[in-house]
Amino acid sequence: MSHHGAALMPPAFMPSEYGPAPRPHVAGLPTMTSVPVRELFPSFDAPITEGDPADVDRVRAATRSALVSVDMSKIGPDDSVNVLASEHGFGLMGGLPYAEMVKTIREVVIERTGCRDVRLRLAIYRGFKEADEVRDHFGFAEAFEGKVKGLGPFDRGVEVATAIGPMWLVNRAFDADHFIHAYYDDPREMYFNRLLYKSFKSFCMSYARFETRSVYHSLFGNRSGSIIPRALFDSDFVQSKYTFSSVLRTSPAGVIGIDATDDLYAIDRRITAGHLATYGRMQRLFAEIDDCVAVWDGGRWGYYLHAGGVIFGVLLTNHHDSFDLDVPVVAGFMQVPGAAVNFSRNKALRGIVVNQAWVGAGIPYVTMPFTSPMYIVGDEQARLWREDPTNPLLMDRATVVDSVESGIAQATTRGKTDKVIVFDGSYGHITCNEAMAEHLCARAPEVDRVVGDELLPRWLRQRGLA
Amino acid sequence: MAVVRFVAELNPEPCTGCKLCDLVCPSGAISMVARRAVVEPSSCIGCGRCVDRCPEDIMWMTERAEPLVCTVHPDEVDRDAVAALLAKAGIDPSVSVCVCTLTPASEIAAAVVKGAATLDEVSAMTGMRSGCGIYCVAPALRILEASGADMSPPRGHRWYPCTVSLWDVSDDARARYADAFIDEDRAAFDPLGQYGPLVHVRTTR
Repeated sequence: MSHHGAALMPPAFMPSEYGPAPRPHVAGLPTMTSVPVRELFPSFDAPITEGDPADVDRVRAATRSALVSVDMSKIGPDDSVNVLASEHGFGLMGGLPYAEMVKTIREVVIERTGCRDVRLRLAIYRGFKEADEVRDHFGFAEAFEGKVKGLGPFDRGVEVATAIGPMWLVNRAFDADHFIHAYYDDPREMYFNRLLYKSFKSFCMSYARFETRSVYHSLFGNRSGSIIPRALFDSDFVQSKYTFSSVLRTSPAGVIGIDATDDLYAIDRRITAGHLATYGRMQRLFAEIDDCVAVWDGGRWGYYLHAGGVIFGVLLTNHHDSFDLDVPVVAGFMQVPGAAVNFSRNKALRGIVVNQAWVGAGIPYVTMPFTSPMYIVGDEQARLWREDPTNPLLMDRATVVDSVESGIAQATTRGKTDKVIVFDGSYGHITCNEAMAEHLCARAPEVDRVVGDELLPRWLRQRGLA
Repeated sequence: MAVVRFVAELNPEPCTGCKLCDLVCPSGAISMVARRAVVEPSSCIGCGRCVDRCPEDIMWMTERAEPLVCTVHPDEVDRDAVAALLAKAGIDPSVSVCVCTLTPASEIAAAVVKGAATLDEVSAMTGMRSGCGIYCVAPALRILEASGADMSPPRGHRWYPCTVSLWDVSDDARARYADAFIDEDRAAFDPLGQYGPLVHVRTTR
């Protein structure tokens, strides 16, 4: 019998043509429970929201408060301004908190500057219809008086001279007199960005052409790659249009506030220090999982679905300390000399059950089903995966099951584990079964001590933040 | 090697000739004939990007009767030439350039040695870019650049010449971003010290 009670429901997510028709959540199963992350780590601050739609007024108030001290003098009443928003923000806690911050930025800019030409630019990854879905779901057309456009890596580029050479951004992101970096601090692939200047990453990803993204991923290491977004941000072109940044701040507990200023380097230092203390603890806790089955159960790519604010990709790679900068290459970084491919194999991950998630659509899980058996619920999802060119081999190995209960039963039996963790988009708590809840609660105190006493001081020192 | 199971098809009647499908096709499989899109099945690597991009929703993917196998076997070309090309580009032969098809750098270089002169041709020959279509591009462009291929961007915005690598960072940039682990990563990724900067002929507009 669970000592945590019935599981909490995750935030509602945006329906999309890139995923299957919504299914009932795994959290509704009687075997599931929820472990509050602040029970695991009491040092985490209380959030202002875990994504409940009733909390949007708090996000609005926090945004207004943060923007009070921001210098907006560069923006004149007759100027044009692009608010640059990026897609992953709409995957955080259902996306409402980030959407509310974005809408509030527009309101405050108009109030403070008299500028009426404030446009929203929605940066998406691969799905060309995704920006329209986001626009409609979050009511951006109304909020921005129709001045909303999507942009992606395949759109027309603009060449930018940087300290490391010419690179290419997406023209539409910068087709106004000024822009505002409307960001969120989800660390996502900690094994890739390693929390090295993560706040700048949009400048070589969301706002960049695919060639620039490829340079970042494939022609640098994942430490040295941190030079690319900074070189772009510091370029004369970007600086000539940059006004300020507004960042939705998170911890595994939920949204903890808004940080806004024109000094992105200062924001980054605050975010990095906070993340190492909070997400660092969660990452190390996930590393204490010796065996488990993971369930994907949300409205984004499975790789980017959260459990307790941490994406599945981190569980896949957590057998290395991603934050130790003395280690050149950690699990998950792809381009490693001598290794045909460095996709991670976490031996603790005994199986993956896909209740609902977007198919690959640009996110490769090429080798994962060869090392962690995958169970796809329902023929509709199986068909989507079969037709996914990003993962052409996946369905050769995956098993189609008729229910999530059947998938979990098969995965746990074959994987010889009794622990189940669910990536359903939750912040503030982890949806899991009782065996996993007991395991996490038992291991958390020692993780808390090791991170606080040993790892965190090293991580901070390596980044000049001690 | 890529095993391509699907091919793009379309209903040409409502096609408006907007060329958006053509612009996102990674392998040059789409051309415009009489202001309507035409797909060449033997060049289509099944990425599906045109289907997603089409604003008229008149394209779809259909399963091929027989899969199309895209590969360049190392035995088809001079292995020493492949090795020399990759050394000049500063790319280890074993790394997976395309992480969706697991196509190694050696196969991309082999395609170039075999005669591929453009990114489209490399994609059509190897099947790279049939998945995410993004992360493989810079290494492939750099290999082409190292071969002396024309790096002038094609009309439209199919691709741009962007191939800066770890080996190209200048001393000034390295000093400006002293905490970017440039020297440390060079040592980690090239312990034998065999790679260096590629001499670029690029313009900045």
